[in-house]
Amino acid sequence: MNVLEINDVTKRFGNLVAVRDVSLNVAKGEMCAIIGPNGAGKTTFFNLISGFFPPTSGNIVFDGRDITRLSTHERVTRGMARTFQITEIFPELTVFENVRISAEVAGGYRLRPWIGRSDAAKLHAVVEETLKLVSLEGKADRLVGELAHGDQRAAEIAMALALKPHLLLLDEPTAGMGDQETFQVTQLIRRLHRESNYTIVLIEHDMRVVFHLADRICVLDQGRMLAQGTPQEIATNESVQAAYLGNAA
Amino acid sequence: MTQLLLFNVTNGLIIGAFYVLMALGLSLILNLSNVINFAHGGFLVIGGYIAYTISPYVGFWGALLLAPPLTAVIGLAVERVLIRPLYGRDPLYSLLLTFGLAFIIEDGTRFIWGPQGKPVTIPPFLAQPLSNELFFITGYRLFMVAVVMIAVALLFQLLRYTRLGIRIRAGTLDLETVAALGINVQMLRSLNFAVGIYLAGLSGVLAAGQLGLEPTMGTGLLMPSFIAIIVGGIGSLPGTLVGGLLIGVASGLTAVFLPAASEAVIYVLMAVVLLLRPRGLFGEEGMMS
Amino acid sequence: MSAEQIRKLVLLAAIWGALLLAPYWMVPLGGYTALATRVLVLGLAAMSVNFLLGFTGVLSFGHAAYFGLGAYGAGLTLKFLVASTPLALVLGMLLGGLCGAILGTLIVRRRGVYFAMVTIAFGQVFYYIAFQWSSLTGGDDGLRGFSRQPIDFGLFKLDILSSADNFYYFVLFCFALVAGAMAFILRSPFGRTMIAIRENERRARFLGIPVERHIWIAFTLSCFFMGFAGALYALVNNFADPRGLHYSQSGDFVMMAVMGGMRSFWGPLLGAAVFVVLQDYLSSITVNWMSFVGLLFVLVVLFFPRGLLGFLQRSKA
Repeated sequence: MNVLEINDVTKRFGNLVAVRDVSLNVAKGEMCAIIGPNGAGKTTFFNLISGFFPPTSGNIVFDGRDITRLSTHERVTRGMARTFQITEIFPELTVFENVRISAEVAGGYRLRPWIGRSDAAKLHAVVEETLKLVSLEGKADRLVGELAHGDQRAAEIAMALALKPHLLLLDEPTAGMGDQETFQVTQLIRRLHRESNYTIVLIEHDMRVVFHLADRICVLDQGRMLAQGTPQEIATNESVQAAYLGNAA
Repeated sequence: MTQLLLFNVTNGLIIGAFYVLMALGLSLILNLSNVINFAHGGFLVIGGYIAYTISPYVGFWGALLLAPPLTAVIGLAVERVLIRPLYGRDPLYSLLLTFGLAFIIEDGTRFIWGPQGKPVTIPPFLAQPLSNELFFITGYRLFMVAVVMIAVALLFQLLRYTRLGIRIRAGTLDLETVAALGINVQMLRSLNFAVGIYLAGLSGVLAAGQLGLEPTMGTGLLMPSFIAIIVGGIGSLPGTLVGGLLIGVASGLTAVFLPAASEAVIYVLMAVVLLLRPRGLFGEEGMMS
Repeated sequence: MSAEQIRKLVLLAAIWGALLLAPYWMVPLGGYTALATRVLVLGLAAMSVNFLLGFTGVLSFGHAAYFGLGAYGAGLTLKFLVASTPLALVLGMLLGGLCGAILGTLIVRRRGVYFAMVTIAFGQVFYYIAFQWSSLTGGDDGLRGFSRQPIDFGLFKLDILSSADNFYYFVLFCFALVAGAMAFILRSPFGRTMIAIRENERRARFLGIPVERHIWIAFTLSCFFMGFAGALYALVNNFADPRGLHYSQSGDFVMMAVMGGMRSFWGPLLGAAVFVVLQDYLSSITVNWMSFVGLLFVLVVLFFPRGLLGFLQRSKA
């Protein structure tokens, strides 16, 4: 069963075609990495999936339903969670508060003027669980804005997880990180995939991460899907090597 | 009936031209620096009073020529000292600052020149009406429209062809990139502000000749300028131009049928535009925040 | 209880102590009870503005309109409908709130300075109506000819007209109700979504919060609060002033919130106290007091943007 089906999607900005006839199917529990040289259209592609703007043509089906015309927040409520290249968190709230807001919205409490004690306790437990999953339980009362980059990313991922998503979209999760933090985040993503069976689509530049984690790799170049396949297939693909020629991996 | 219609529509166009001059200055500052200049009306008043003060020495024409740049210089000083520190911050603060500034200017002019209105003499040949039929088209009103037209034309030329103008336009679209190109953004904002204030000062000189001069005359023109920008579309100078004329004419037309509502109609127009085309007539997507 | 909680409780007790005893400690300091009443009402208005400005992070500037609508609503009720203070308050609140709800739908898709501009422009519509519709509203002179009615509790009547102290405590009671409601909402899950929107709107959207809808709700709520404050204000002087609808009044409320501290719940009340006292004092010693108020704006913005209570580490809602 495909969690995500992207069918011949094209996105035009005036005369610029950022994404051209791209198709992709993501099965449940799969980890799919999207790579490609700079300017290939990866972020635009992600923005199409998460609902920043509608495609010029083509459609997107999520969990069997056509979501092409749905807004961002509607897609989130249907089970799509996303992180950003530049971490988007609530900097002046604590880690716990960040994840709690996420859990409350996911639990349907966003409009409630009141939350009962038992419900609050349940949510509290959910937040604690999620924090344990990303190894941040010790830092729950720290302000997210004061954390190290890697921990901020973990917090952001925790917020996404608290939404109980069917699909995790991770936009360059290791962006701007040193070796240690990259390792930390990579391990986290691996756990989420292998142990918790999340379906994940990620954009990455760091080839070590990509080849280490992904079931399937999709290569975008100049808006087109150049190749799709297992890491081994992609590693030996000549046109992929040609596209990357001159770009350090 | 046609006489009345003509009278009011012409009136409307003349007032509209005025709104345009004010609104363009406001729009320039808003687009580049994200600052709502509440003190814009105050600068109009300053322009008028400077004209009044220097006209005994340089005459009406001298005042027309010199008062706007002098006002612009004051504007430059204000921008440098008061507004520049606020650029990186929440737009709330520059809003409050220009707000307070408006109070200071109004009271200040009242303090320096007194609360009474001051008479401003215009050259007699301008005060003549064009003909007996079209008695309402006095030479001065035509002159005002002519000045506005020249000023607007010059402004658009400035923006299209001069280096400053091109940088302003680029900065409006993407200030970060402009800065990355090595252009001095501080100076750009200051000069842009000065141009906007020049237009306010010019409006002040023209208004003085038509309405007489008194400390509160600026505030009445601020709101219509706002609405001209909202109707025309934020981020679009041609839009502001159209917006100003449109509300002027709408106001004039309404005066024919429902005189009491002639002021209210511009708000109704704004509401309608916001309902049907939220970004304004010529507004661009994504210019909202 | 943790040290933090104890600290908060003590602070709260101190504030309420001061408020409850105001008529007693104000007089020796040269004040008078009616001044305290004014501060309470304007403080409530500033807190209502801050509900949107400080806690949702939305740049709303035309709020005085709903304050003024509340005042006129109360005044018109007392003058033409029925001589009942509670009803006047309710109808004033409804007038302000409902107008806010309707206009809010037109405004909430905008953000930043554009939002501010549109809120100001719409606020001016009501100012204009109050001025023009003079047969109803009294025009430039404002609405007169009504007064706050004693409140009938069945067993006894509370005379709030002739006794300044009685009226003060009545207003304090109303203040407590509304401030309590505000605090309650800010502590709720909905309140947390407001803060989320303030902290990072994009992230809020990507958590599944329909941002525009939540802003509209916050906007409408703050307009109801403003309307209520305005209704109370009409009762303070038995008078509704069209100038209360002008955007310069909005500027005053925003300044109170900024001066007191936008990130704190009680900040705007403190800001209102300082502002009202200062304005009272200045207008009595110079005719150019307006420029001093303007100067105050400039100085606060340049040098004290975080306000008096801003030095506090973090104020949780």
